[in-house]
Amino acid sequence: MTLNLCVLTPNRIIWDSEVKEIILSTNSGQIGVLPNHAPIATAVDIGLLRIRLNNDQWLTAALMGGFARIGNNEITILGNDAEISTDINPQEAQQALEIAEANLSRAEGKRQAIEANLALRRARTRVEAVNVISY
Amino acid sequence: MACSNLAITWASPKPSDHDHLSSRAFLAPSRLLFAPASASSPRPPRSTAVYCGLRELRDRIESVKNTQKITEAMKLVAAAKVRRAQEAVVSGRPFSESLVEVLYNINEQLQTEDVDVPLTRVRPVRKIALVVVTGDRGLCGGYNNYIIKKAEQRMAELSTLGIAYTVISVGKKGNTYFQRRPYIPVDRFLEAGNLPTTKEAQAIADDVFSLFVSEDVDKVELLYTKFVSLVKSDPVIHTLLPLSPKGEICDVNGVCVDAAEDELFRLTTKEGKLTVEREMVRTPTPSFSPILQFEQDPVQILDALLPLYLNSQILRALQESLASELAARMTAMSNATDNAVELKRNLSMVYNRQRQAKITGEILEIVAGAEALT
Repeated sequence: MTLNLCVLTPNRIIWDSEVKEIILSTNSGQIGVLPNHAPIATAVDIGLLRIRLNNDQWLTAALMGGFARIGNNEITILGNDAEISTDINPQEAQQALEIAEANLSRAEGKRQAIEANLALRRARTRVEAVNVISY
Repeated sequence: MACSNLAITWASPKPSDHDHLSSRAFLAPSRLLFAPASASSPRPPRSTAVYCGLRELRDRIESVKNTQKITEAMKLVAAAKVRRAQEAVVSGRPFSESLVEVLYNINEQLQTEDVDVPLTRVRPVRKIALVVVTGDRGLCGGYNNYIIKKAEQRMAELSTLGIAYTVISVGKKGNTYFQRRPYIPVDRFLEAGNLPTTKEAQAIADDVFSLFVSEDVDKVELLYTKFVSLVKSDPVIHTLLPLSPKGEICDVNGVCVDAAEDELFRLTTKEGKLTVEREMVRTPTPSFSPILQFEQDPVQILDALLPLYLNSQILRALQESLASELAARMTAMSNATDNAVELKRNLSMVYNRQRQAKITGEILEIVAGAEALT
């Protein structure tokens, strides 16, 4: 049995093909999905999406939160935004992280703190996606 | 320039009809080109034309010719960009379709439960945030003015109702407008960029989200230009927050449309190449398998879905606004080109007539001189 993964964002389709396995960061922790998984619906946190391709290579993507539906060997991930690690520029991601950290330390009030926190988590995920240890 | 006055009297017979155009600070010679093409035939050149020298006329014809080239090019560029904007909408379609499908199903499953999600909480309205989407550039007819006028009208309405408001301005034109009017409270100035992507939509969504969740505002309204067709677009007001948990979209008057219908309705607005079909299609919503489990609380899942929905709504509005702007620019530039052609023709006529008169005069002089000698 094969597993079909489809990652959609409002801009474009990020990924639509067969995979062997994925590891998904949900709101309640990471889950691994193999073929013939029980049908579930889950909220996806801002975090990494790891994909094992048919040639057993792992691929990492940064996922900016969203929703996933698994069932019938079909995974549909609806995300705000997603980037495959090879598309991310490491220097730019690192800079964005530093800016986000600086912004958080300067944030005043509840509102700015919410915004700065979200931005920081996004930036951190992108850096993690680039620097992930491949195994 | 001696002949600019006379040219204006020919080419824009009714300057007061298009005040939104003439109020812009164009240079005098080019200004009349951007007036809508008038169907009436040009008036015969007045006798004042005689005061204009041949050389000035020649320069003027040359300058009109150059302007015509520019407007023609701008029109073509806008046409190409409209097509790109359409593609952007089409490529976002799989996402919206899946989203509506999921939202619809989850709602059905949650109907029996009492859900309480921050984004759907309806509070008594004390303050409203208005997100005003304008373009980055001018030269697109009344596009920016219409939406700003709509915003002003809404602000006046809110003032009479005694409701406070704050503006989130998106787009350079709106930014300069609101910056020049410090009495309008503006929360943030944003720029939409050339082709709206999730990044821009996210920036707006983050802003309205934090405003709403921190209870700074109790309602968020989105003012944008709805793309109806290449020659028609409507500035509309659309309530963004609070979202209805059933995925309905409500307008200002409280009329709600089911998302499953509305989504596709909006998406098909840019169907077809240069014609627009508006069809009402209902997304097929196959029900989930009954054994579907929720990994988290249904509330949490809805919490993850609704921001997605919010983002896609904002993105759609940005895309529609961009398409409207480009269509407006196309029309304006096409009119400007027509006017330039007309003006060039009139000027050439006057030029040729004067040239002829001059030659005739010279011949007469020569003949008279020759006759006097004999």
